[in-house]
Amino acid sequence: MQNRPSGFGNPWLQLALSVACVLVSEFFLKRGATDVADTDSAWSWTGVNGLASPLVWWAILLIIASFVSWLYVLRHIPITIAFPLSRVVDILVPLGCWIFLGESISTLRWCGIALVVVGLALVAKPIAQIEERL
Amino acid sequence: MSFLAFFFIVISLLSFVLAQIILKRAMEATKTTGFRNVRFVWRIAAGIVLMAISFFLTVGLLQRFDLSYLYPFQGLSVIFITVTGAVVLKEKLNMRVAIGALLISVGIVLVSLS
Repeated sequence: MQNRPSGFGNPWLQLALSVACVLVSEFFLKRGATDVADTDSAWSWTGVNGLASPLVWWAILLIIASFVSWLYVLRHIPITIAFPLSRVVDILVPLGCWIFLGESISTLRWCGIALVVVGLALVAKPIAQIEERL
Repeated sequence: MSFLAFFFIVISLLSFVLAQIILKRAMEATKTTGFRNVRFVWRIAAGIVLMAISFFLTVGLLQRFDLSYLYPFQGLSVIFITVTGAVVLKEKLNMRVAIGALLISVGIVLVSLS
């Protein structure tokens, strides 16, 4: 990770952008797939009929954007570090619903969020030490 | 959950993990060989095809199951990719990162189940 680019080319910023795109695309995908659901058709297992929904197309655009950012991240950060960190999106969804939509979070879900936060801290710590040395 | 649903979930997960490993290898190689390289193009193409397979299978599954039901399986990808990255790509995997990845996986499952 030496000679790491800065500014917009900072791989950590790109990782954050990639996570943000995935976060929004997850909501779009679920809504879009549900809108055009046709579970009687055998072909619907392939998900191709989801392309009838504009939201699925928006989700695809966001996924492409996140993919480009992710490729950049992979060039600079080990996948054993970058991928676990990218899963912060899995707690941002319920937290977003709690903060912005006023939905309640059960005790078990809070425990899950706490475990993910501790896991993220454990994965991120070696990186913080590397960054300090640079 | 039917056998067919389980089968598609496993195929989707395996496609995703394999795609990530191939893409990582492709991007890693660009540091020495650059982007104008036939092997780079093939690896990126293979990664995209595998990601597309995983994507469409996920859309198909989302039409039958809630996102919260499918998420625990996505959580497993953290462990699979971390271990595969260490074994196949020879990346350093210390105990701290391994435990961190395990906690993230278990946390995602708990978040999804509750």
